[in-house]
Amino acid sequence: MKFNHYLGAAVAAWLLAIMVVVAELFAPFKDFLIATFSHHWIGKAVIVALAFVIGGFLLGGKNPISKYSSEDVAWYSTLGGLAAILAFYVFEFIT
Amino acid sequence: MHPMADVILARDPALFLHILLGVALIPLSIVILLYLMKKVSWLKPLAIATAAVSWLQILPAGILYLNFYPATKTLIKAGSWVWAHDIIMETKEHWGLLLPVITTVAAALVVTNQPDKSRKWWILLIILTIAIGIMGRIVKIGAGMQA
Repeated sequence: MKFNHYLGAAVAAWLLAIMVVVAELFAPFKDFLIATFSHHWIGKAVIVALAFVIGGFLLGGKNPISKYSSEDVAWYSTLGGLAAILAFYVFEFIT
Repeated sequence: MHPMADVILARDPALFLHILLGVALIPLSIVILLYLMKKVSWLKPLAIATAAVSWLQILPAGILYLNFYPATKTLIKAGSWVWAHDIIMETKEHWGLLLPVITTVAAALVVTNQPDKSRKWWILLIILTIAIGIMGRIVKIGAGMQA
């Protein structure tokens, strides 16, 4: 079974950004993370780690976005995920 | 509880380990970058060790964040630098979760003989680690800012 570290990272980055936004805007999701993992941060950490490993194996050898290389998908997803998290908290604070 | 758990879960050892492991990521990445294109036998083990350090770093970070940060958060929220928690800490605590992913990608590229492609990932790791360190200082200063 092949592991694609690039796509594992892309899945992890986007999933984290999505979880950050959803947990803040949709309280039941944050409550679910707390109920399941004792703290929302632990829940996100576990899910991100699992997403990296499982995503990397499930997408191993494949590139679902064939227009772009796996390398580019991972790089821009990681930068995008980091930027999205910062932008979300800035936006939340301002509004 | 095992006596060692008291030591590990205490604030000062966790903080020391958090800073030590976090700071270690910077020189480790710099050494790897310097020797990236040189055929040295220890590069792959060092890259794997650096990835291990980044995963291990989650442990003291979690101990501090879950057990000791709530008191700091209360101080920040009562002070004049509320943004130090609402923006800086919230971002920092989540950026930190991507640190091991980034390090693992960089290490995997070294291990699979693609050192040149790993370069930007090591550089991103250095920049992100420094940024997270600075954010930590801002949060600490924010706790002392009275309203």
